[in-house]
Amino acid sequence: MSRGNQIASSGLGRLFRGQTAVDFYGRRRIGFVIAIVVLLATVGSLFTRGLDLGLDFEGGDAWDIPASEIFGVDEAKAVLEDNGVSTNGARIQRRSSDTTDLITVQIEEVPQDNAVQITNAFAEAAGVETDDVNFSFTSSTWGGEITDKAVRALIIFLIVVSIFISIRFEWRMALAALAAMAHDVLVVVGAYSLFGFEVTPGTVIAFLTILGYSLYDTIVVFDRVRENEGKYAGVRMPYEDIVNISMNQVLMRSINTSISSIIPVISLLLIGSGLLGAVTLREFGLALLIGMISGIYSSIFVATPLLAGLKSNVGRKARRERLTGDNLRAAVIGSGVTGRVGATVGSADGESNAKGASHDDDVKTAAVLEPAGRLLTHPPRPRKKKRR
Amino acid sequence: MKRRLWFSLIATVVAVIAALAGNIATSNAPILGLDLQGGLSVILAPEEGATGDDLLVVRDLVRSSLERSGVAEPDVRVQGSNIVVDLPGVKDKEEALRSVSVSGIVELRAVVNFTECSASIPAVSTDETIADGRVLGSDGTITVDGDPADEVTPPVDEESIGFLNDEAKTSFRRSAPDPDADPDAPADTEAPADSDPVGDAPIDLAPTPTPTIAGAEFLPTLDGGALCAGPSQASGEVFERDSASVQLGQFGQFSVSVDLRADGEDAWNGLATQCFNRLASCPSTGVDTDGSGRPGQIAIVLDGIVQSAPVVNVPVFDGSVSITGSFTQEEADQLSDVLNRGAFPVQVTPQETRTVSASAGGDSLRAAIIAGLIGLALVLAFLVAYYRWLALVIIGGLTVWAMAVYSAAAFVSGATNYALSLAGVTGIIVAIGVTVDSYVVFFERMKDEIRNGRTLRNAAPRSFNSTWRTIWSADLVSIIGALILFSLSVGSVRGFALYLGITTMCDLFVCFFFTRPAVLLIARSKFMVGKRAFGLEVASS
Repeated sequence: MSRGNQIASSGLGRLFRGQTAVDFYGRRRIGFVIAIVVLLATVGSLFTRGLDLGLDFEGGDAWDIPASEIFGVDEAKAVLEDNGVSTNGARIQRRSSDTTDLITVQIEEVPQDNAVQITNAFAEAAGVETDDVNFSFTSSTWGGEITDKAVRALIIFLIVVSIFISIRFEWRMALAALAAMAHDVLVVVGAYSLFGFEVTPGTVIAFLTILGYSLYDTIVVFDRVRENEGKYAGVRMPYEDIVNISMNQVLMRSINTSISSIIPVISLLLIGSGLLGAVTLREFGLALLIGMISGIYSSIFVATPLLAGLKSNVGRKARRERLTGDNLRAAVIGSGVTGRVGATVGSADGESNAKGASHDDDVKTAAVLEPAGRLLTHPPRPRKKKRR
Repeated sequence: MKRRLWFSLIATVVAVIAALAGNIATSNAPILGLDLQGGLSVILAPEEGATGDDLLVVRDLVRSSLERSGVAEPDVRVQGSNIVVDLPGVKDKEEALRSVSVSGIVELRAVVNFTECSASIPAVSTDETIADGRVLGSDGTITVDGDPADEVTPPVDEESIGFLNDEAKTSFRRSAPDPDADPDAPADTEAPADSDPVGDAPIDLAPTPTPTIAGAEFLPTLDGGALCAGPSQASGEVFERDSASVQLGQFGQFSVSVDLRADGEDAWNGLATQCFNRLASCPSTGVDTDGSGRPGQIAIVLDGIVQSAPVVNVPVFDGSVSITGSFTQEEADQLSDVLNRGAFPVQVTPQETRTVSASAGGDSLRAAIIAGLIGLALVLAFLVAYYRWLALVIIGGLTVWAMAVYSAAAFVSGATNYALSLAGVTGIIVAIGVTVDSYVVFFERMKDEIRNGRTLRNAAPRSFNSTWRTIWSADLVSIIGALILFSLSVGSVRGFALYLGITTMCDLFVCFFFTRPAVLLIARSKFMVGKRAFGLEVASS
């Protein structure tokens, strides 16, 4: 037997070898409390601060003009006043990064001819070509239409996905996955509201990306839960145990995937918007980063405990307390080979408790591996069909 | 079995490389969006009740209007119930914007007496010195009342048996003061939205309290004056599409001629006959040289602004109409554009206009590409550190995936005109994470199996089977999302959905046809024996 089967002494080592035994279900309240705090913060912030809806949702005209020593916020204001536009409702900001420096001007809708004139006036005042001034116009009805259509598409998407998950898995999983997704989107919306970022169509796309990512991540975890459910169908394993075992088994995958997903986003945020100064990338990247972290968190600490909560009252009553510590570890490691491990762990209870006082790796390994090792002496039997 | 694996692996690699080479050879690259290369984009929405055919007609008209203004191969397409005009990299944005945005319906209305106009729309400018630079014609260049030179000008177009004389609006307006003017007539009612914004001068023409023609209203003219026009009697659809042209007459004057459509002739002639016979619905509005009442005028109205109000000199037109007057060439061109545009079957209004400077677009593109490549390199470094030799499969798989995504993007954007926008690029960067996940799920599963005592050869196919189930379930959710968002949303969300769909499909494709045979073949070979992977040493099988 190779070294890899030894129970590692450090937490990191156990994580690396897939030997963790974290009682996720036992700590579900921590996850729920954090989720509720985040939700309350979001709702509170939405009521007190609201969302800063950008031009595309409210309608109006906007310009991006290269800023310079001769052209700043005050000069932009002067240009607007010269053209007979009230600066009361106007929003004029200077957005700068290392390599770019822009004045962003947003005003309410004006006739197109005036808009063209103002564009030329800005170019003249800033001493640049007209082509270097970015102009955008959105009618107020259009902004509403985009939002309406996106919301309608989203609702239909959620219904279809719920049906898909209900068929592929079961409706409780659909419910838990949607709850986790709602959590993630709320976290991002809350962040936007709290920090006062402007919501643009790019942000909507970031929200959609987060939504898709969150569902994807949750489904990967649920697939393992589903698989283990089938494995333990014959041994009356409490659902909490199945959830705990599955979570520990996919923990390393979750971490690896998270790192691989977040690195490109951080690169987008730091290199794209920081060093290269693409201002549009910054808020997009930030929304994605917050959303992905939240997505990874929610599939472990929101979706799965919620699923266990929904399932725990279904079916037969469990015969025993849920597994913790080394018993859980044995199940996490052993179930890769056969579904029967869970049944034997009960009998190993006394044994492992007796040896639990010792922290010697070898003793621990022996205790944990004993049932699995015994089973491996004969070839794995064909798996039995799920039976109720 | 082994042969099939080899076949799948080699066929995939060859197919993807061939697709990429094909795209490069035909220089078929993904079309870059506005925000990545600068340019102009306009979204036009029709009024309620436009049919699909109406939209197609409008699309063609916008396209030809752009081509006339010098934009080669403009990208104008119908998207849902909107018309999207994308002009990435266009040089003269202002000119292009003008040709796209004035796009209402042309109405034909009889010019009636001022007394007919309702008191509810009195905000008409009488100020001759309009300051905002919108005065496109000036009084001096338009034929004044009863100019004999224009009356005798023969139509340039041979087929034209009648011609119209462009009337001077301002002189006419002044010649018709209302004797019953009520000095207390309200002048403070609100101006209609499309009337001249500087029309705040007090009105000198008070309307009668009892208008007899319903629908009559004051309309501003191009030179800042106003006319009282009766109800709309026909639309620009009476004119043949794209038939208007400018001719230079023998005395150096410009005229505009336009063909009538077979099914529009009656409507036009009905109006022309009323005017020629000086009926109450189209009364005489001036005095001819010989002292008799001159025939009535037809106002050609676009977006609530009178473009021209020629006097009708013939009662019945056969096939074509010629409008004369002392136009400058620019004015004649403009009128001809209006008549061509008049064929718009529905009113469309711009909903979103966006111009991006080329330098800003290029910066964004460079930033996104550099950030994406650095991110990808870091991810690969992490995976090599973690999975050691097996990371070779990931590197190969991601390369195949990237080539497949590029080819698919080039093909789809070439076939459907969906440009790759900044949102699409960031979507692809996020997709790197999801794609890598399929390898991570697979390898973590294999690691578990091997740790539990299976050989690599035994673990690989078992792991793939369970991994494949996980991946298609999860990816199918993304594909469903992409399909629904693509079919139901508008604008940039649609582009995002397209690239989400492409990357996810490529992930599934590469996973089954590249990763699976590659890993299974490695597991069967002696390649991994004694090498470290997953933090374990692989024992011989």
